[in-house]
Formats: sequence, C-alpha cells, structure tokens
Amino acid sequence: MIGEISIGGVFVPQLLLVAVLAFTVSLCVRWALRTVRFYRFVWHAGLFDVALFVVLLWCIAMITAVPMPYGARVS
Amino acid sequence: MLLKKIAFALANTAAALTALYIAFARDLERPYWAVFTVFIVANPISGAVRSKGVFRFLGTFAGVAVSLLLIPPLVQEPVLLCLAISLWVGLCLYLSLLDRTPRSYAFLLAGYTATIVGLAVVNAPETIFDTSVSRLEEISLGIVCAAIAHSVFFPQNVLEELNEKIAATIERFSTWLSGAVTRSERPEDAETQEQLASVVTELHVLYTQVAFETSDVPRADRVMRILQDRLTALLPALSGLQQAFTALVEQGSVRAPIVAALEGVARSARSVAEATQGPSHRLPLDSSLRAELAAASAQSRAGESLDWRALLESTLVTHLNELIVALEDCQFLAAALKDPWTKLPPHLEREALLPGRRILRGDRGLAFLSACAAAGGTLIACVLWIEGSWPEGGVAAQFAAIGCSLFATFDNPAKVIRAAVVGILVALPFAALYEFAIFPQIDGFASLALVLSPALLLFSFMQTSEKLEGAGLVIAIGFSGGLALQSSYSPNFSEFVNSSTAEVVGLLVAAATNLIFRTIDPAWNALRISKAGWRSVSRLAAGWEIDSRRWALEMFDRVGLVTSRLRDAERVARLARWDLDGLRDLRVGLNVAVVRSVGRRLGSPSGPVLEEALGAVSRMYRCRLHGRLEEKDVERAIDLGITTLGKVPPTREVRDGLVALTSLRLDLTPMGSQYRTPLPPA
Repeated sequence: MIGEISIGGVFVPQLLLVAVLAFTVSLCVRWALRTVRFYRFVWHAGLFDVALFVVLLWCIAMITAVPMPYGARVS
Repeated sequence: MLLKKIAFALANTAAALTALYIAFARDLERPYWAVFTVFIVANPISGAVRSKGVFRFLGTFAGVAVSLLLIPPLVQEPVLLCLAISLWVGLCLYLSLLDRTPRSYAFLLAGYTATIVGLAVVNAPETIFDTSVSRLEEISLGIVCAAIAHSVFFPQNVLEELNEKIAATIERFSTWLSGAVTRSERPEDAETQEQLASVVTELHVLYTQVAFETSDVPRADRVMRILQDRLTALLPALSGLQQAFTALVEQGSVRAPIVAALEGVARSARSVAEATQGPSHRLPLDSSLRAELAAASAQSRAGESLDWRALLESTLVTHLNELIVALEDCQFLAAALKDPWTKLPPHLEREALLPGRRILRGDRGLAFLSACAAAGGTLIACVLWIEGSWPEGGVAAQFAAIGCSLFATFDNPAKVIRAAVVGILVALPFAALYEFAIFPQIDGFASLALVLSPALLLFSFMQTSEKLEGAGLVIAIGFSGGLALQSSYSPNFSEFVNSSTAEVVGLLVAAATNLIFRTIDPAWNALRISKAGWRSVSRLAAGWEIDSRRWALEMFDRVGLVTSRLRDAERVARLARWDLDGLRDLRVGLNVAVVRSVGRRLGSPSGPVLEEALGAVSRMYRCRLHGRLEEKDVERAIDLGITTLGKVPPTREVRDGLVALTSLRLDLTPMGSQYRTPLPPA
C-alpha cells in the first residue's frame, strides 16, 4: 500500500485511492445501516462513522496490498 | 450554553493544531492554508461543517484545474491572462448567486481559487503544478481535520435546530392566529407575515444540510417538502379569511354560527400555542370545534342563492377549514420529521408520492451586477499590479476577487467589505506580535502549539456568537495569513508589511467596485422582485406555468424578500403608487390555480368562461407591470364566471370554484365593490 499509481503521468499515492474507495464503500454501508434503523443502537454516530471508515480503510488496504509486492509501482 | 461554546472552541482549536502538525510533518508548502480552512468550515453544527467541507473541496478542485488550464498558455500574455481570470471569477460568482443553497459555495470557491493559485505563480510558472497540488492537499487536510473534530467531539445536528425553528414558527403562528382570526388585517400583522415567509426559505436552506449529517439523523425529504407546502398555505389562508371577514363586516353584522366558529378556532389556536411551549407536543383539535365548523359551513351553504353575502360567508368558512387542516398537518409533520417511520395519514401519503423538487429562484439581474463588480474589481487590481510593477500586486488581485465573491450576497456589500478591512487591520498587530516578538523565542511544534492556542481559542470562541461570527472569521484568516507559518522561521518585516498592504488594497478595490455596481436602493429592489412576481402571476393565469406548488413556494419566497425590504415607512410611501402586496399576489395565484383546475374538469360551457376570467387576470397583471391598473375588465369577467358557476348543479368542485372566484374578486377589485349579476352581453 506504499506504492504509487500513475494516472496520466501523475503519480497518485495508492493510499489516496484506497481512501477514496473506502469512503465510497462507507457511504453505502452507512446508507444500508440507516435503512435498517441500526443507528438506534449507536451511542455516538459521529464516532461510529469515523471508526467505520477507518476499519474499511484498513480492510481494503490489506486486500489490495496482498497481490502487490512491497513498494511496487504500477504504471 | 456556555459549556457548549467552550467545547466547540476546544474542538476547533484541536482541529486547527492537528492540521498544522500534519502539514508540518508532511512538509507541505503553506501550512496556514490548512489552518484557515479549519476556521472557514467551522460551525457548531456537524452537518454544516461537512457540507461546507465537501463544497469547499469541490470548488477548490475546479478552481485549481482551471488555473492549470489557463496559466501555462497565457503566462506570456499578462493582459489576456488577467482578463481570462477576471472573467472566470465573474462567471463563477454569477453561477453561485443563482444557487441559494450551501452548494453555491463550491462555485464561489472555484472562482477565487483560480486567482489564489494562478496569480501567485505567474513569476515562476513552472511551479504551478506543485502549488496547485499543495493548495488542494492543504484544503483537504483542513477539511478532514475540521470534519472529524466537529463530528466526534460534542456534535450538534441540524435537525435539532430545524425542529426548534419549526416549533417556534408553529407557536408564533398559533399565537398570532388566536388574535388575528376575529378581526381584519392590521399593519402590525406585517411583521409576523415577514417572519413566516422568511422561515420557509430558511428551513429549505437548512434542510439541504441534513444529507451531510451524521448517520443517526433521520432523512425525511418528503416530510419536509410537504411541511414547507403547508407552512406556505397558512399565510394566504389566514389573510384571505381576514379579507372575507372585513367584507362581511362591511355588509352588516356577521352571523352567529360563523362568529362561534371563528372563536372556536381562536381558542384551539391558543391551546396549540400553549402545547408547543410545554413538553407534550401534539394536540388534536377538539371535536366541538369541528361541530362548530360543520354548522357554520352548513349555514353558509343553506342559502345557496348567489348573493354576495352568501358567497363571502362560504369563502370565509372554506378558508377557516383550510387553515385548521393546514395547522393540524403542520403539527403532525413537525412530529414526523423527528421520526420518519411515522405513518402518514392517507392524504399526506398521497401528496408525498408526488414528484417535484423545490428550487429557490436566484435573482439574475443582481447576480449579473455582482459578477460585473467582481470581474471589474479583479481586473482593476491586476492593472495596478502590472502597471505599477508592484511585486505584491497579485495578492491585491486575489483579495479583490475574494472580497467581491464572499460578500456578494449582502444587500450592501461595500459596507461589509469595509468592515472586513477593519477586521484585517485588527488582526495585523496580533500577527506582528507573534511573528516578531514571540516566534523568535520558541522552538519546536509543542511550544508553537502552546503559544498559538490562546489566539486560536479566542477566535474559535468568537465564532460561536452570532454577532462576532463574521469578525472572528475575518480576524482568524487575517491572523493566519499574516503569520504565513512555514516549516522554517524566516521573519521578513518588509514582506509582511507589503503583503498586508496588498490585502487591504485588494479589499478596498473590491469595496469601490461594489460601491459602483452594487449600491442598490432596497425600495427599488423590492419593486423589481414584486415585478418578477407579477410577471409570474400573469404567466400562471395565462396557463404558461403549470406546477402551481412550485410556483407557490417561489412566490412565498418573494413575499419574504419584499417585506423584509419594506420595513421602513418611508420606502413604503415611495412605492405607494405601485401598490406592492406580495401576499395578495400569492393568494391570486393560488386561486387562479383552483379556478383553472375546476374549469378543466367542468369543461364546456362553463370552462371557457372561467378561462376568460383567468385571461382577464393575466392581462391585468401585465398592465400592472407598466404601472397601470385596469379593474373594470377583470370585475366583469369574474362576475360572469360566478354567474355561470351559479347555474351549474352545486358539487364540491363548483363550490371550490365559487370560493376561488370570490377571493379573486376581493383581491382584484376596489374595496367595497360587490358582485352583481352582470347584464348579458349585447
């Protein structure tokens, strides 16, 4: 997850892309949780949302890091 | 309350220092951009922080992209470059003023970010990409820090404020209703009318932030939409009722069952007002009131003959019914907003399924003037910069653009910009004190954070109070811009003075161009808005405008805008010739919509007669635009409509049509004129 990805010649840190992906996923998850009224059981929704994002970020980073050797550059 | 404010100030300071720390740790180019982003998006309400953050990010992204597009090809042609940048600022400001929701901030920022990034690098165009990236990075950093801080530490949500506002509105309206329903309209009603009219617009704007709230806040767009419609219905119903009441009093005494019904409504409105103050919320209207209403409407219907008095009575009772239903719905919807899983009653459920988005109409003419002021201000500052070979002139151009953009929504931007200049002048000694007396003594981030935190706490605390909010923000920006914190300490007094002077000069240029373009007489503005309203009434009556709900909301917004500008008597007197009354125009439009739908359903032979009456209304409003009043034509056409409807068997629709025509007649003909059967056309 340390690598950089070249988009049109601009090197973008892979972490940024993963973060954007995780944020999108977290939006979906939050929407789903809201529709099933899960938030009745949450004490502090703001904290929960942030934590959810961090967990998702970690998961996605772990998944995407596996196939790539450490520090690899995809161009 | 104080505790909440202190909590906010602490969270905000923590966010600013975190942003600063990360920016230093990552060796970003201008850490102070991140710091003042925190101050700009800061708001006690977490949804507001997030929505502003999102729009700030999008705006910055667009602005940076445009400067990347414009600078490299135009950097050798300063004149063209300045022209292009100023036009871009003007265009963005125009678009942002047309959108009156928080989204407008994205357009605003797209405009002046291009000046901030673009004009800072013209001497070294090869660094444009780095500067762009660092601007975007630091803005994002500030946004993320502020968003996390304000949603994790002691967040408050929009819905609380929204609910408070709605409850206060219902209470105020009920209190007013309990007094106003049994009398004619009086001048002191104008104040409550204005408050109600502006509340609906405020609710609309506030509600757009709910989408950005933390996830525990229920989303209930449909409920909010109907609630807005109902709040919009209250005012025209009450004023129509007062009008019918006045006309009835003129006819002699008001009959007993009607007086009883009016008093019943007043009584129940009083109990509604008391209930919203207390802990328990909903209070169904008592059944005795319903009985009284039914009796009154039966009474008024008994004399089905078409005499003016009977028409007035049935108009009054219909409005009374509308008022009660709308008030009850408002109470119900206000409760439903807190818990969107509440089951709506069938008539509201049907309405919730109707499609339709509510859009606040922006004022194109005014937006164009503001855009001219912004483009002109930026251009003038650019000319000073190039012609004067003034090295810091770019900063002046940036601040001219910022000043013109940020304050364009005010009625008199020049005045506000002058206040901002004062704010910056106040901040400068502060910044100088830190830069030249304190910073030389310290070493490392911890001591920097310690010496900065009192100032940051103070500015954050200022932002919590409504009066000092603007001042706090300006001073915070002036302060962090003046410090221009960077990774290494390099004090340079001449640069400090130069760039500060440039900031002030830029703002003064902005004030000057706004003085030229945007000094607008509020009375004239009120007249312009009213004229736009008349045009839209005329369009509605002519059948060019279809969606009457959206129309009503737009018109209601205009009522608020006009009445807030006609507060002092001198302006009203100056406009007396024009006979401005937004509420009347709103009523006319609503009745026009009713008459149209009745006419459509009845078809020939009464349909065309009703269409003819609407045509007359449309023509009358078009004449009004030119300052003429022609009432004879309308009076005759409406009377003809009433006569025709009187001959049709009285179904519910026909009765609605009669009531709408009577209300139209009350609104559009001179006081005291009465319906009589017109002579058949010769």
